[in-house]
Amino acid sequence: MADYEPVLLKNISLEGSTDLKVYESAGGYAAARKALKMTPDEVTEIVKEANLRGRGGAGFPAGVKWGFLPKDREVTYLCVNADESEPPTFSNRVLMEKDPHQLIEGTIIAAFATQAQKAFIYMRVEFHEPFHVMQNAIDQAYAAGYLGKNIFGSGFELDVFIHRGAGAYVCGEETGLIESLEGKRGCPRIKPPFPAVEGLFHKPTVVNNVETLCNVPHIIERGAAWFKSIGAEGSEGPKLFCASGPVNRPGCFEGPMTITCRELIEGDGYGRGMRSGKEVKAVLPGGISMGVLTADELNMVMDFDDPRNFGLLGLGTAAAVIIDQQQDIRKVLANITRFYSHESCGQCTQCREGTSWMDKIATRIADGVGRTEDLDLIVDVTKNMGMMPGLSICGLSDGAAFPIRTIVQKFRGEFEAYIAEQPPTSTLRVLSTFN
Amino acid sequence: MPKITIDEQEIEFAAGIPVLQAALDAGLDIPHYCYHPGLTVVASCRLCLMEMKMPHPKSGELGWAPKLFPSCQTPARDGMVVRFNSETVVTGRERCMEYFLLNHPLDCPVCDQAGECSLQDYSYKFGKPESRMVDPKLVMPKKDIGPQTLLYSDRCVMCTRCVRFTKEVSGTSELCITNRGTNSEIDVFPGKPLDNPIQGNVVDLCPVGALLDKDFLFKQRVWFLQSAPSICPGCSAGCAIRVDANDDIVYRLKPRFNPGVNDWWMCDEGRFGWKYALSDERITTPRLRRGSSTKTPKWEDVSEILQYRFSQHVDEHGSGGMVVVLSPMMSCEEAWLLLSFMLKVGPNVTAVIGPILSVGEDQAFPAGSTGDETKFIIRSEKAPNRRGLEMIIDQAGCETLSFDEFVESVGDGEVSAAWIVGGYPEKTWVPKALEKAVGKLELLVAQDLFETKLTAAAAVTLPACAFTERAGCFVNHAGLIQPFESAVAPPNGCHRDGQYLYELAGYQGLYTPDRVRELMAATMSQFADVREAAPAPVHLH
Ligand SMILES: Cc1cc2nc3c(=O)[nH]c(=O)nc-3n(C[C@H](O)[C@H](O)[C@H](O)COP(=O)(O)O)c2cc1C
Ligand code: SF4
Ligand code: SF4
Ligand code: FES
Repeated sequence: MADYEPVLLKNISLEGSTDLKVYESAGGYAAARKALKMTPDEVTEIVKEANLRGRGGAGFPAGVKWGFLPKDREVTYLCVNADESEPPTFSNRVLMEKDPHQLIEGTIIAAFATQAQKAFIYMRVEFHEPFHVMQNAIDQAYAAGYLGKNIFGSGFELDVFIHRGAGAYVCGEETGLIESLEGKRGCPRIKPPFPAVEGLFHKPTVVNNVETLCNVPHIIERGAAWFKSIGAEGSEGPKLFCASGPVNRPGCFEGPMTITCRELIEGDGYGRGMRSGKEVKAVLPGGISMGVLTADELNMVMDFDDPRNFGLLGLGTAAAVIIDQQQDIRKVLANITRFYSHESCGQCTQCREGTSWMDKIATRIADGVGRTEDLDLIVDVTKNMGMMPGLSICGLSDGAAFPIRTIVQKFRGEFEAYIAEQPPTSTLRVLSTFN
Repeated sequence: MPKITIDEQEIEFAAGIPVLQAALDAGLDIPHYCYHPGLTVVASCRLCLMEMKMPHPKSGELGWAPKLFPSCQTPARDGMVVRFNSETVVTGRERCMEYFLLNHPLDCPVCDQAGECSLQDYSYKFGKPESRMVDPKLVMPKKDIGPQTLLYSDRCVMCTRCVRFTKEVSGTSELCITNRGTNSEIDVFPGKPLDNPIQGNVVDLCPVGALLDKDFLFKQRVWFLQSAPSICPGCSAGCAIRVDANDDIVYRLKPRFNPGVNDWWMCDEGRFGWKYALSDERITTPRLRRGSSTKTPKWEDVSEILQYRFSQHVDEHGSGGMVVVLSPMMSCEEAWLLLSFMLKVGPNVTAVIGPILSVGEDQAFPAGSTGDETKFIIRSEKAPNRRGLEMIIDQAGCETLSFDEFVESVGDGEVSAAWIVGGYPEKTWVPKALEKAVGKLELLVAQDLFETKLTAAAAVTLPACAFTERAGCFVNHAGLIQPFESAVAPPNGCHRDGQYLYELAGYQGLYTPDRVRELMAATMSQFADVREAAPAPVHLH
């Protein structure tokens, strides 16, 4: 995509891109000045019109979410979801580390649109560098009068705080985030009430992803029509993609949501192909939680809708892990089951017990003590968890079910071959030592 | 009343409750762990699954939504259609039950909860006999979490009822969840044991054998226990309880649902404070004294002896100096019978209410709560029936004195004869001034659980029974009349107070509270219709 003009990443190669002056000289904060002259509802309308779908994983339209806030509210909070806890995902990190003022500007506009006077950036604790960069940028913005009272002479005031997490994946889930922000265990809440009605400290709250908010200034500046001219219907606007694994250029890239998974791996503006001698075996294209693609399915479009046609949960974080032919699929599976078993908050029975059971099975298979019936069993367990069948409070267990199920289903032949190669007595012998 | 259709059955429900509660109220056995009507809804165990009819998002046509819903989190609405009996629901909860047993040690043979465990019951009814897990089970520790309570975390189903209780009801928050996922455990904070005045309720709330009462540990298999509905005599709150006994030995007390009084709870003082009943220092036989010689009369003669003693006294001294001290530990029936007898022999008898121990202030939980926030109150008045005695004495219209005035009068030699009822858990209830002055009485009848200076000096000593051995009714601090039944026989050789007072008052046959209340109702209509508190739904665990 040679003709793609970067939007979100346009500043990152500028010298001193994290500095307020550099950001402003590249046109920064013009959108915020413009927005604060409008009414909050006008700003929300433009964002709605642009159909800016959430980049945090669920793809919910940001403007619509803002519109859910009750009209008669007195206090509103804005939470910036910078937990970026999905494995292989690092696009929020790039945005915060390289262009912190873009996020601050997006935050100011979103806070104005939602009439929030306090915004909390909930950042994963492992983000040391992004934390310092963001905090410096916030300090600069305060010093310049862009945060605090009477921003741009509009009378609008906003305080922005960074809250650092304590290392739990589930704190990226919006209500887990809210609980954690309140100083509690990061256990997702039951809904209703939804955060827009009763969120942080029981007040109406909007939670948006970093990348979602970084899009906002550009929409205000260049208009909804411009935004919708990028990508395709339903998946409009610029998008960040990550590629990790044995590609020639792993990293974070920007493009429209019309590219295919193959382009992400091979395209010149993206991964630039597999390293020599490596061949794609499987791709987890949306973080790990959305499920897996085989080498034959790389024509999947990296948008909000096409992943479903491949049995995946959705676009997720659009961060692809590429797995090459030399990798043992059993280890890939065990690595994934270990993650969810470790990260389930433990509230919902099916998620708490299901994730750990699957991990026991997958680890056993990887240790060479699998049984063919384990493959059916593990698929059955994945079908018995998650929000979609109504068996959990949050989406973590759907995110556990999809990769595990799709890996076992799409690579069943490989698993069976490994199991067939096991010495015939190994299963029995090892299992009997357990009892 | 609004109506909901559950499993093709139309059911009326009280507005504002979740579907699960409506189903339980209707007598349906819907398995559930995390839900408890006295705690906030967390909808995390995902066992109370149901299907629900909803309008199709496109066509608007009403049909079964293609997913399951936790019925505890779904408010019941008029006209709603749900089902618990479809294959999807049945399989969904079968799977859920499998999870609860994945890492469970299956140690029912040595578990106190066996026989009243909803993990056992649900597994039989809603689960499957075999586990599909061939991998090793996770082993969780057994922990001593407080002076009264143990936690076997390997049996825990992580319903978090106990944690919510300490947060929302006791307000003490000793319990918490540590670790994450399948390694989650209930625990206390280091150096902060589970130790609050109502902590015992967590053991009742625990649907499995994870939380255990040290007091009851390994004492009885629950299927040998027989329960009698009772009212705790520990304070004037009048908490409904259950006395669980086997072979005339009480093993434990448990709270009974009593809306607006104790709801589902009771305090530890009441729960564990009944052990005096088991003491072998109890008085069990009547005793007569003349000078320094004593003898034990036959029970069948007791009535006549008492009649004779009092008539003789009245003949000699009149009844002006006669006093009856009714104990607030007595039931209304017992007090009424005794007062009737006294009035018959001595129409001018003075009635006194025995001492009422008062400890501090009423204690509300959570501490500092008021109004609707208050979930439970321990009353400072440590006796169950002051209000009942007041009603009976008022109606009788006799002279009264306060207990302190009575003690003074005895000291001043103004009282010639007295029947003094004790029945308090502590032997130390008799004030020093009374102990000193008691010799001035011409005639003293002392009725008590334990020997005191009064029983030592009394011409007639009568055994009193513990509340677990008696039946009657108490009137709580708010004027609510509540019946209690006897759970066990009195100690060998001992007769129930109600029985000998019944005979003394001139009635024949077997004392039953109902019969006495009928007599009382002739002048006090409140006693005509004394009933049990509303029962909780049978399938609420
Ligand atoms: C287990 C789990 C983890 C999540 N982690 C993140 C995360 O790290 N960052 C994020 O922005 N959204 C995450 N989400 C999605 C959030 O719940 C929420 O949808 C999102 O922050 C909303 O922002 P958006 O509408 O701008 O995308 C997670 C969801 C789940 C179920
Ligand atoms: S689905 Fe899993 S992570 Fe989410 S709330 Fe339930 S137990 Fe916790
Ligand atoms: S100890 Fe009992 S009450 Fe507490 S969470 Fe476990 S099962 Fe529930
Ligand atoms: S989810 Fe309803 S009782 Fe636990």
